[in-house]
Amino acid sequence: MHLLKNIAVISSSVILIVSVLISADRYSISSSKSAEVCLSCHEDESLTMEKGGKTISIYVNPAEYQNSVHAGADCADCHLGYNPDEIPHSKSIQKVNCGSCHDDTKGLENSVHSKVNCADCHSKHGIKPVKEIAENQTESCLGCHKGKSIRQFSTSIHNKKNTGCNGCHSGGHDVKNIQKQEVTTVCGKCHSESKMKFSNSIHTTLTKAGNKITPICTDCHGSHQILTSKYSIESEACLKCHLDEKQFPGESKGSAKFVAEYKTSIHAGLKGETESAGCTDCHGNHMIKDPNDPGSSVSRYKLTETCAKCHREIAEEFKKSSHGKALNDKNISAPTCVSCHNEHSIKSVPFSNELSKLNQVETCLKCHEEGKLPYKNYKGEEELISNYKDSYHYKALQEGKFDAATCSDCHGAHSMAKFDDPNSHVYKKNIAMTCGKSNCHTKELSEFEGSVHNISIMKNENSDAPTCTNCHGNHQILNKDETGNRIASSKGVIQLCSDCHNSVELNEKYDLPTGRTSSYLDSYHGLAVRGGSKLAADCGSCHGNHDIKASTDSASSISKNNLAKTCGNCHPGVEATFFQTKIHIVDKRADAPGVWWVTLIYLLLIFGTIGVMVFHNILDIRKKAAERQTE
Amino acid sequence: MTLNERIQHFILLLSFIVLIITGFALKYPEALWVQAFRNVFGENAFEWRGDVHRIAGVFLIGVSVYHIFYLIFSGRGREFMRDMWIKKKDITEMIDTFKYYLGKKEDKPRFGRFSYIEKIEYFAVYWGNFTMVLTGIFLWFENIFLPVITPAGMEIATAIHFYEAILASLAILFWHFYFVIYNPDVYPMNKAWLTGYISRHQMENEHPRWLDELENAESKKQNGADNSENVNELSESEKEKLSKDDSTQL
Repeated sequence: MHLLKNIAVISSSVILIVSVLISADRYSISSSKSAEVCLSCHEDESLTMEKGGKTISIYVNPAEYQNSVHAGADCADCHLGYNPDEIPHSKSIQKVNCGSCHDDTKGLENSVHSKVNCADCHSKHGIKPVKEIAENQTESCLGCHKGKSIRQFSTSIHNKKNTGCNGCHSGGHDVKNIQKQEVTTVCGKCHSESKMKFSNSIHTTLTKAGNKITPICTDCHGSHQILTSKYSIESEACLKCHLDEKQFPGESKGSAKFVAEYKTSIHAGLKGETESAGCTDCHGNHMIKDPNDPGSSVSRYKLTETCAKCHREIAEEFKKSSHGKALNDKNISAPTCVSCHNEHSIKSVPFSNELSKLNQVETCLKCHEEGKLPYKNYKGEEELISNYKDSYHYKALQEGKFDAATCSDCHGAHSMAKFDDPNSHVYKKNIAMTCGKSNCHTKELSEFEGSVHNISIMKNENSDAPTCTNCHGNHQILNKDETGNRIASSKGVIQLCSDCHNSVELNEKYDLPTGRTSSYLDSYHGLAVRGGSKLAADCGSCHGNHDIKASTDSASSISKNNLAKTCGNCHPGVEATFFQTKIHIVDKRADAPGVWWVTLIYLLLIFGTIGVMVFHNILDIRKKAAERQTE
Repeated sequence: MTLNERIQHFILLLSFIVLIITGFALKYPEALWVQAFRNVFGENAFEWRGDVHRIAGVFLIGVSVYHIFYLIFSGRGREFMRDMWIKKKDITEMIDTFKYYLGKKEDKPRFGRFSYIEKIEYFAVYWGNFTMVLTGIFLWFENIFLPVITPAGMEIATAIHFYEAILASLAILFWHFYFVIYNPDVYPMNKAWLTGYISRHQMENEHPRWLDELENAESKKQNGADNSENVNELSESEKEKLSKDDSTQL
């Protein structure tokens, strides 16, 4: 190896010396330092020399030189101490010192480029005019700065909009490294509005308080590869820090775990879909605040509007709801969007989603667990909202019958309102429509619509007439045959109807016929039911259930012309019966004179006969006692 | 009382008591004893109550019809009806009895085989059975009779059935039971409905005229006098029993 190297060095030296000698012979070299003279040798592309153990080219492109701003200058103006007659030209190679002519390079000594040669930017012999250099500066920067991140600058929005490296790093000889604390200022030179907003953010506040890991512009936007904001800021930028459990420990709000739930949300875009809502869509971009700060876009009272950016219609509905009104009144227990939908782990709520229907119950009960309704029926027993879990609706849901009603099916989801709000789904006048909506109890609704009860409800404000819930219960609605269902047994039905129809207060208020309950209970039907019969007629057997109508209504099951048919339902063969007297015998003498006379006669008969008998026997025993005494 | 008559009486009393219990159980469903029934017989107690009531009704009707046939077609039945038939004497005896009770007459009338007390009892059963069976059948087959007697008629039938039940029960309690149970002469019980006999002493007290008649017939027979076959047979059998335990078959 050494041998080869030595041979190469010696041979190249010999070639050099010989060629110089030859050329010296050929040309007469004047003392004037004419560039032409120099170029006569240096235009040879194969011309090399050894420097520091390396072979370097000492070729000079004549065209480049002649087109440069230095075309008028002599080679020796820069290459000081070179004697063309000597070969090599200088025993001690002197570095080219641009500063000898260009005294405006002073700033350079303090700049990051202090150790960079002028030629690295300006080139050696093909020096261009300053203007031209400035125009192509970025290109020349990238000549040296070949880091991956910096190379991506060429695709950046800054590059496209002709903001070069100098835009941030200053140009010319004052090139700077930008320190972390300077970034905001540098960016702010152009992006003043964003800078102002950012300076109000929690990120800036924390930075000012001495936090060293809070982000600056470049942490989110990147430094060189800055795209338009639409593409550059993805939630990944935020999650870089916010998913770090070391920085955000624990499980409470604000923790990394809490933020990580976002990944499971519909907003994050499931199964490779694009993100529908990123961090910034809710939290804002530059002026991000602590969610507890009233100014935060996700603070309690601003959240509705934030969600409304995308979910406008739902938000408007919510604002009109009891929840929304309470929130508007700054009620501290009022729910916001996230109270039900969760903060980060927001899931889609398709109508048939089985999980949402069951889970919804838990969500609502979180707040309404203790809720009570004073009356289940008219002055009936108290009812708990949580009794819903005993209802058939809930049982059916659990069994996989997802048509069954959950909270929102009756109360509305965003439009829920209290029972006393006329717009509420559970306002007395609206309950039948709510229960009877399509896919639910439509048949029952059509029956109920023409009933005396519904007519009274629709005609009078605050009617006492029962709607669906007054008989079936509100939350604990049971199936027809379920034990515990009040209206599953005849006795329950009778008691239920009697709650109102045996009420002196209501009978007077609505001018209802009295004695319905007592007259029924004394009839054979009533006696049989009291005795435990499962077949005997109760109120509903004759009057109907949902379609109860007045006897004067020809469509009523108890109108004179329909009565025989109604009775015939249980008593086949009685269709030919002629009904003239009343069924509910309240005043015997008026309603059933025959019975009244029979009763009178029999009472006389009983008291008369039995009285005489007792009298006779008393006399008998008296005589017998007297006889025994005498004996 | 022959065994046949005792069985008739037993079926009558049994069906009567069952009818009373199952009937009032319908009318007073909340009474403690009715609740007890429900507790014992379970959830179908009401349906069973109705079925048992109807079965008992059938027995009552059956024994009543049999009794009519018995009266018409058996010799003893015809004799029974002759003795039971209401006569003028019964009225005077009743008046005399009241007089005796009130101290206006020294002696009690000498009753024959059946006194007015027993006749009232016996014919009250006719009245009671007639009304109860008639109204009971209306109520039983309500689907057939509703168009016939109208709902108002059904209400009347229901009322009659109820009040007649009360009347019958009270009559049994205060009239029949007085003379066969509470009455100090027979207390604790007149056992004739079980054994067929009453004592000679009771015979002398309550049916002295019949005792005379029986003894006259007996002596006549012993003297070889002519008697009708029936009476003869009857007297013979009675003579045997009389000598056995000093008691008379009613």
